[in-house]
Amino acid sequence: MFLDRLMNQGSAPLLEQWLQFTESRQRLLAEDVANISTPHFAQKDLSLAQFQSLLRDRVNERDSSPPDTVSFDDISMDVQHPRQAMLFHDGSTRSMEQLMTDQAKNALMHQMAVELLRDQYSVMEMALKERVG
Amino acid sequence: MFDILDTGASGLMAQRVRLDTIAGNIANINTTRDQAGKPNPYRRRFVVLAPGRADNPALPGVHVQTVGIDQSPFIRRYEPGNPDADKEGYVSYPNIDLSIEYVNALEASRAYEANVTMMDTAKSMFNSALRLLA
Repeated sequence: MFLDRLMNQGSAPLLEQWLQFTESRQRLLAEDVANISTPHFAQKDLSLAQFQSLLRDRVNERDSSPPDTVSFDDISMDVQHPRQAMLFHDGSTRSMEQLMTDQAKNALMHQMAVELLRDQYSVMEMALKERVG
Repeated sequence: MFDILDTGASGLMAQRVRLDTIAGNIANINTTRDQAGKPNPYRRRFVVLAPGRADNPALPGVHVQTVGIDQSPFIRRYEPGNPDADKEGYVSYPNIDLSIEYVNALEASRAYEANVTMMDTAKSMFNSALRLLA
């Protein structure tokens, strides 16, 4: 119970959601790259802006609510079909450059969330051990 | 996270089959006879890709749906001395355009590399997530 409360305070639940988001997005980007030569394939993606907005709303809600009443676990998003400027004759909107950029940014965001979460865990570990280092 | 690797692998396989097919086209660019040795020019092959895995189309990925045969007309060249020439002196050569094959091969090769990059990224993400537990 105490550990649950400890884990659900601060930015830890946000970072966990962030990790789940980047993993789901990487899965979709991998599918897009695999289908780069598939005619009529509509690319799939998750909106980063929408995710950030959902997360921001939930944080604001948590800040104005009693402790342990707001959960981050039920944040869900719809898969989108982004439309780039270039449209191929088969209706596909493939853009290898955009996909590679998105996957690199997504991996960096994942890395950042992991490092921040790791820092949080080490602080908790330090507190549990009652000694520094 | 592991299914990203499977998705990437399906992309690698699809692009490899595509490259194999292009290689077969280029190798047969001047083939005017069939396996039995009779005048019958080679027809260009092309790969048709479809989304989903071959064993389960509901799973994310890509697979080769079919290898089609291009029914466009053969290229005719006037070579009256050629044993495969018709009565008018024309020889039918395969309907293969080297420039198109080169461009397709380049595209397939780049797509193959992109899939490898995707798998590398997934691996590093997985490794960094594992470090959380270490």
